[in-house]
Amino acid sequence: MAELAIENVTKRFGETEVLKGVSLTIADGEFVSLVGPSGCGKSTLLRLIAGLETQTSGTIRLAGQDVAGLRAADRDLSMVFQSYALYPHLSVRDNIAVPLRMRRLNGRQRLPVVGRFLPGAGGAERQLMGDVEHAATTLEIDHLLDRKPGQLSGGQRQRVALARALVRDPAAFLLDEPLSNLDAKLRIQTRVEIAELHRRLGATFVYVTHDQVEAMTMSSRIAVMMGGKILQCAAPEEIYENPADIQVAEFIGAPKINILPVDVTSDGHVGLLGRQLPLRLAQPETGARIGFRPQALRLSGADAGLTGVVAHTENLGSEVFAQVSVPGLENRVVMRADPAQRAALHLGATVGVDVDCTAALLFDGKGQRIRNVSVKTTPELAGAL
Amino acid sequence: MAELTSTLAKPQSGEQDAARRQRRAAWALTLPAVLLMGVILLVPVAVAAVLSFTDFSLGNDSFNWVGFKNYDRLFTRSTYAKMFVATFTYVVTVVPISVGLGLGAALLIQSITHLREVYKTIYFLPVMATLLAMAIAWEFMLHPSIGMINRTLELGCGTVLEHIWPFMANGCVQGFPVWLGDKRYAIWVISFIGIWQGFGFNMVLYLAGLTGVHRELYHAAEMDGAKSGWERFRLVTWPALGPTTVFVVTISCIRAFQVFDTVEAFWPQGGGPNKSTYVMMFAIFEKGVQQNLIGAGASITVMFLVFVMILTLIQRWLVERKVHYG
Repeated sequence: MAELAIENVTKRFGETEVLKGVSLTIADGEFVSLVGPSGCGKSTLLRLIAGLETQTSGTIRLAGQDVAGLRAADRDLSMVFQSYALYPHLSVRDNIAVPLRMRRLNGRQRLPVVGRFLPGAGGAERQLMGDVEHAATTLEIDHLLDRKPGQLSGGQRQRVALARALVRDPAAFLLDEPLSNLDAKLRIQTRVEIAELHRRLGATFVYVTHDQVEAMTMSSRIAVMMGGKILQCAAPEEIYENPADIQVAEFIGAPKINILPVDVTSDGHVGLLGRQLPLRLAQPETGARIGFRPQALRLSGADAGLTGVVAHTENLGSEVFAQVSVPGLENRVVMRADPAQRAALHLGATVGVDVDCTAALLFDGKGQRIRNVSVKTTPELAGAL
Repeated sequence: MAELTSTLAKPQSGEQDAARRQRRAAWALTLPAVLLMGVILLVPVAVAAVLSFTDFSLGNDSFNWVGFKNYDRLFTRSTYAKMFVATFTYVVTVVPISVGLGLGAALLIQSITHLREVYKTIYFLPVMATLLAMAIAWEFMLHPSIGMINRTLELGCGTVLEHIWPFMANGCVQGFPVWLGDKRYAIWVISFIGIWQGFGFNMVLYLAGLTGVHRELYHAAEMDGAKSGWERFRLVTWPALGPTTVFVVTISCIRAFQVFDTVEAFWPQGGGPNKSTYVMMFAIFEKGVQQNLIGAGASITVMFLVFVMILTLIQRWLVERKVHYG
């Protein structure tokens, strides 16, 4: 168990700078997800923490100690790989035992056949087999111990990889997209199990994923990475409700947030498609944009502020998402509706859409969040849109 | 009732007809391949097996059945004892060393970033060269008085090497070995040339095998605490190369059993000094072709086939049981 501190870390591969100064502190026992699109540097950051790569500059501290120059094997970290990386020739039992054998037995005791007869080897072997079985029981794979990885399903291999990671009680767990090779149903189930495992072990988890749903459902904090930088690192609710950057807002949340261009008058009033919104900024802004989550939009009568044609609907059973083409807007607006409203949302129907301006997120021309927004909830203005 | 059975039987017989037609078509389509295989592979083997029980010579109108006499000679005559000794010495020397060197060269080439292609080409050159032509070059190099090897060794005379290396001391006094004319050295010389010529091929096979080793396994091994290259080799590389190794060893064994060109080039008349390099292929050639003793030649051929068959069976067993991870 240990705190992990990353300070100003950069990494270059030749000419390309993959990480452009990343700082992140992960407290003991925290579950932090590094999330971002592919190529954002999240896996590279994880491999720097693991010690499989060396950073170009910056420091990484584990429990207050700078780990520069410390090999991956000496960092007391466990890693679960995307491909699981199980040794194909070893049984599940031996796969899980590898990290223990490497650490508890010396070179001679690890020799095949003769090794186990050397002094001390028998006792150590019995003890580590006990630990292996304990880890296997924790992950409910104790009935698979004698099989080879080739005889296991994807989900079972994943559990073996987890068991191999937790068997030696490391300072922190590093997980590199461990669910991406599982099918959708198993992924949801394993998601819950990994979150529960984290609660039970109370260990530090660093979890890399490109799937924002995984990050949202499992983490204590999410670090959203893009272009080699951490754009925002906060609790999932905070990231979702209060994104600091337009890219974060667009990456987190499914369906994607609606981003619409707005006009800001010289006195800070915000207008959308020529209509004034009950929002006011402290200062004028050019190129400002407004973001609405799909649930901030409501179906309303034909006299509403946004009127458009239903271009596509997605019925998820418990809710319906409708894509509405609004004249004057480049992208379709996605709106959440109740299944009861499905009849009104048939394709080609002209619908009115109301927006909840209290849930609006405003961004400046550079994509940074504008925090200083006042909302007027006077009835006549709210009715305007 | 009769109607009922006939209606029931009809589709059934139709199905049977279809199945029969399909079988017939299948046989017809495979017939050319089966015929070819029989004519060019199985029949010659069978003929050789039959001839090994006769005293047939090419040109004779008839032959006598001699029973197991040819085989009896194989196991009683000292010439054949020398043949087995030479063949097995060659195989047991060349196979492990050329496999080991092939693996070592492949690992070294894999580990470097520059000049990979250059090294690959250099090591692969002897494989591409004609061994018969190379044998002539080696013959010059190994010449006892004007050869490069003994000339080089002579340079060591009078240096410290003479005091620490008995072979050198001996050579400086009595002259360096007549490599190709001395029964103590001849088999080792052709073994050396066999290794020199063969390990590049094994290296290429191992290089292909190494590309199939998953990179993440090395990272997993590193995380699991395998710090030294040797530990990672034992945990990841060597097991992953299992199927390649079985193939490489089998191929090397068969090639080693087939050694012929060097022996024929160095000693066209009779298998080296005191028959010390009288390998099986050369014996087959000598008996069957040079001396026209087809029966005796055939019996050695059958022995040769038995050895290769055993090797192939071992390989199949290993591939199916031991090294297949799925």
